[in-house]
Amino acid sequence: MSALFELRDVRAAHGRITVLHGVGLRVAAGEVVALLGPNGAGKTTTLRVAAGVHPAESGRLLLGGRDVTGARPRDLARAGVCLIPEGRGVFPNLSVRDNLLMMTFTGRTRAEIEEVAFSRFPVLAKRASQTAGTLSGGEQQMLALARGLATDPAVLLLDELSMGLAPLVVGRLYEQVAEIARQGVAVLVVEQFASAVFGIADHAAVLVRGRIERRGRPDDGLRAELSALYLGSPT
Amino acid sequence: MSPTETTSTEPSREEERPGANADAPAARTRADRFAQELAELKIPDPAAGRAPLWLRLGALLMVAGAALAVAAYALSHGTRDPLVQRDAITLGLGGVTAAVAGSALFLRYSLTGFLRFWMARQSYDIAQLADRLLERDARK
Repeated sequence: MSALFELRDVRAAHGRITVLHGVGLRVAAGEVVALLGPNGAGKTTTLRVAAGVHPAESGRLLLGGRDVTGARPRDLARAGVCLIPEGRGVFPNLSVRDNLLMMTFTGRTRAEIEEVAFSRFPVLAKRASQTAGTLSGGEQQMLALARGLATDPAVLLLDELSMGLAPLVVGRLYEQVAEIARQGVAVLVVEQFASAVFGIADHAAVLVRGRIERRGRPDDGLRAELSALYLGSPT
Repeated sequence: MSPTETTSTEPSREEERPGANADAPAARTRADRFAQELAELKIPDPAAGRAPLWLRLGALLMVAGAALAVAAYALSHGTRDPLVQRDAITLGLGGVTAAVAGSALFLRYSLTGFLRFWMARQSYDIAQLADRLLERDARK
């Protein structure tokens, strides 16, 4: 299967500190890849490089087979790369409807955006006039996902979807992510809590100190290695 | 496996997911459209992304040009030698030119960012106003 999204040997830094040391990842259309790892491993930086928000010092970003290294983030977003950042990125002082309205920059009408959002997340229709800051964490994450879907993404980059949410809510959100992937979207999920994403991921990669240490199917073997990484190897 | 080896070289679990194959045509369509849009994408020259550098250069030229003009004025007043005074005039004109060019650079790169957000806000306000007017007309 050809990759819709690919990072090749990417190195990136924050100031003088190199954070990524040759990261390589591929995600095909309709595939979910989980990028796992402990705090400070470089997961968020990887996503930011993938969205064109953070410049790579070296390496390549390929989308749809084309080398787009150095492309402006707004051009990538317009083409169909959607980053949902950690902390959801909704406008807390605007209503749910106005948060969705912000996505009309994509050229879609308000009605089309609301149709996409409310059909997938009916609870948002009930809260349409409520300010986003007063929604529960799960509903805010639904709003963030709905805003992302309104852009008709081809590549969806999700950062810590489960952050601060109850396991039941996380499960429901990841069901939606799996459904989105089934429609042909390439999904790259960054997660600290592997169990949250293992149910839907086709592949997983473990990032430690800016290097992919392990990759493969999200099975018990990988889970055990992750536990050892997080908690220290058993002696 | 080396760090740069890739994930999808392994067999995908795509076929294990019910409904994945049924949606394959939709997947191809969006992926094809995505590839087509990216093929048309113009990737800027990395040199074009040096706005902060131009901004700093503009500010530097503004200050240095003004300083040069003042220094030239002082120089021309400190001597009766017409040759030195002519040099001071040349220096002064150079300073004024540098200050004008620096101001233009500074304005160009400082206003761009501001105007971009101002225009986005204007677009949003106009869209809202249009919605309100349409709703009012619909109620009549």
